Amino acid sequence: MGTTRQDFEGLFSLYIWIGSGVAVLVFAAVAFALIRYRARDGRRPSRRSEANLLEGLVAILILAVVALLVTRTFTTEAAEDESRATPVRIDVTAFRWGWRFTYPGQGVSVIGNSSANPTFAVPADRTVSFSLRTRDVIHSFWIPEERFKRDAIPGRVNRFDIDFEGAGSEEGLCAEFCGLEHSKMGFEVFVLSPASYERWLAAHRGGAA
Amino acid sequence: MSAEPGAAPPLPAAPNLAAPAEGAIGWIASTDHKRTAAKIGAASLVFFIASGVLALVMRTELAQPGLQFISDQTYNELFSMHGSGMIFLFLTPAALALGLYFVPLQIGAAEIALPRLALFGFWTYLCGGLTMYAGFFTNNGAGSDGWTAAVPLSNSAFTPGIGMDMWVIGAGLAVLGSLLIGVTILLTLFRLRAPGMTMLRLPVFSWSMVVTAFMVVGSFPVLVVTMGLLLYERHIGGVFSGSGGAIAFQHLFWFYGHPVVYVMFFPFVGAVGEVVATFSRRRFFGYRALVLSLLVFTALSMAVWAHHMFTTGGVQNQYFSLTSHLLAVPAGIEYLDLIATMIGGAILLRTPMLFALGFILQFLIGGLTGIVVASPPIDYHVHDTFFVVGHFHYTLFAGSLFGLLAGVHYWFPKATGAMLREGLGKLSFWLLVIGANLTFFPMFFLGFDGMQRRVPDYAPRLGDLNLLSSIGAAVIALGILVFLVNVAVSLRRRQPAGDDPWEGQTLEWATSSPPPRHNFRQPLPPIGSHAPLFDRRLAEEPA
Amino acid sequence: MKNGAAFAAFWGALLLILGTGLTIWSGGMGIGLLLAQGGFGALALALLQAGRPPQPRARLLPRFSLPTVVLALGLAAAALGLTAGLWLVLIGAEVALFALVWLAREIVAERRLPR
Repeated sequence: MGTTRQDFEGLFSLYIWIGSGVAVLVFAAVAFALIRYRARDGRRPSRRSEANLLEGLVAILILAVVALLVTRTFTTEAAEDESRATPVRIDVTAFRWGWRFTYPGQGVSVIGNSSANPTFAVPADRTVSFSLRTRDVIHSFWIPEERFKRDAIPGRVNRFDIDFEGAGSEEGLCAEFCGLEHSKMGFEVFVLSPASYERWLAAHRGGAA
Repeated sequence: MSAEPGAAPPLPAAPNLAAPAEGAIGWIASTDHKRTAAKIGAASLVFFIASGVLALVMRTELAQPGLQFISDQTYNELFSMHGSGMIFLFLTPAALALGLYFVPLQIGAAEIALPRLALFGFWTYLCGGLTMYAGFFTNNGAGSDGWTAAVPLSNSAFTPGIGMDMWVIGAGLAVLGSLLIGVTILLTLFRLRAPGMTMLRLPVFSWSMVVTAFMVVGSFPVLVVTMGLLLYERHIGGVFSGSGGAIAFQHLFWFYGHPVVYVMFFPFVGAVGEVVATFSRRRFFGYRALVLSLLVFTALSMAVWAHHMFTTGGVQNQYFSLTSHLLAVPAGIEYLDLIATMIGGAILLRTPMLFALGFILQFLIGGLTGIVVASPPIDYHVHDTFFVVGHFHYTLFAGSLFGLLAGVHYWFPKATGAMLREGLGKLSFWLLVIGANLTFFPMFFLGFDGMQRRVPDYAPRLGDLNLLSSIGAAVIALGILVFLVNVAVSLRRRQPAGDDPWEGQTLEWATSSPPPRHNFRQPLPPIGSHAPLFDRRLAEEPA
Repeated sequence: MKNGAAFAAFWGALLLILGTGLTIWSGGMGIGLLLAQGGFGALALALLQAGRPPQPRARLLPRFSLPTVVLALGLAAAALGLTAGLWLVLIGAEVALFALVWLAREIVAERRLPR
């Protein structure tokens, strides 16, 4: 089972390849028509005006491609829902205009806002299980490098898992328009080795950073 | 009135109780569907230019990272009014106006079914649009929560002020007006077809208006009611509070919000169908397959709306992903028909045909990226980013607007009696092609790379693509300007069009340009198919 | 059927099928109702249409209709009054009422004219 990002990449590639293929086909067909069937003296257009068998075959062909894409989409979604054992739990609360990240049971809580974006850390080898809430309006928790976002909706908790890829610092953004400082409501994620992660937790225990 | 086949049904105009006078009264209160449609067209053009200027201001700000000359609050009003203006006040009314003008002509009717309802609809829409834009002059500014006005952001706690109220009321009125126009068109199509014109002999464009009207009637009332509820929420509260409230609002909004984008598509694909057939000198290929796919496509489009809500975690993603993917099937049939009409034809590359080709190829990019985002795991990355902004500008601008321009260039001679200039037409076409692609293609990469929507500023590494996009916007502006010049010049120094400058196939070309008050003076030609003039020309050809 | 009813019925039926599918897949959520209103609306339209004669009846129409315009303006003013204040609701409603009476007279007058 791959990381969240790997799940995405495989699926996205499939869609882009098929989409590009269709685009090339259609562009080629139009180009063919324009070149071969330009009006010329003496050219008489064909009188044929339907071919229902052809239409039926094309419909079935497209349906087959759709079935392939939908199946692949559904299996990817199912794969994303699987998680490795013993996830790290992080509670995220979005507000106008910042974020709070709390590690329940660890005594760690980090908060920041548009003036000073917050930073939190995750270990690279374990699933991270997020619980996402908002204090006010709808926000959206987006980490582009992980190819994932989820909305924070008032009155509900959205739970989701991310298996982080690689190591280093990743940008986080609010991706649902939430008013005046929507564009400044960012955060940062450190994807760390297990040892570094434990050191980070220890350094942040006992209060908001 | 005669019921003989081929007889034009001219209805006597009832003498008004006051002496009828053209002039100002005529322009304000005429019941002629052509006048009403022209008024909608003119109003929507003004809203297009206004909303387009807002976009140019945004693109100027976005050309470089950092905030140069726009405040956050102003930017929020700009993008909100740009989207709202384009959808509620320009493209939807323009699509319906095209139908209001040309459906009666295509079906051989002297008038529409409920002329006063259409007139009422125009004024209601116009009042709605003016109300919305008047928000700019209030204390807290115009509506500033996007065209989507999600709750709780759009309630009075988070977006106070009368300007947002005016947005809500304006949207409700504008959509109500559009709804009534749609009702009129539908009843006209059902009831006023000339003798011999069965449903399966309706021209391609008129069929596209049938299914458009179905969607209008099925979904627009929900928006009007929802705006009423939002206004109540803002003033009294208690409608969308509670844990399901935010999601409930989105269901209500998007139930309209998705079909409306198809209302802004189908009339134009219908116009493009007429243009492609005419300029390929052939009947439209696969008529029955087209009718079936129009019905299936529009029915499906009523059942995909929650694909705008995949990331909320509160909807049945699989169902809506499936229905959204299925749209590819009827869409593919329509594309097959358009291309098959061209293959085997004798193609003339006049300006209407160029815009039609632009529509076909560019809408394709929008449509294919639509299938991409129909996959929830993919959408989890690109939702609410510039990838989606690129997607819907390819469908609506590079697609639908090009389709509208194809229809405008095709039917301008009929409505005005004057031809548009070919040279200026081709110039505007190429400027718009270059501009559209330069503006919107980079957006796919910007969104994928980490630029979310509705932001006046972004990470510095995204500066180059944003600059490219902004340059493209300037080219678009130039292209639109050339188009407007074309219209002005063509009206001032008229080249008379005659009844049928294109060797058209449908009944509107069997009357004068512009048509008389009750559309047809002469008896109609016999109607044996969806292309009666084509049939007549074929019958008159030497064997 | 020649007058469009069959097509409205077909479209409405598609919506009801899609709505039923949604309700089943979601486990009985209320949003299927949205599709139901569209579907039943289309079926109702089909029924209304099915009973009508296929050829248009002759009607008389005025060349223009000022009361229609005034009615629209009055209702829009009343709608704007929902935020601007009761005073505008009342003015708008009065104008709309006046226009409604005017419109009724216009329609009655044209119905009285010989065909």
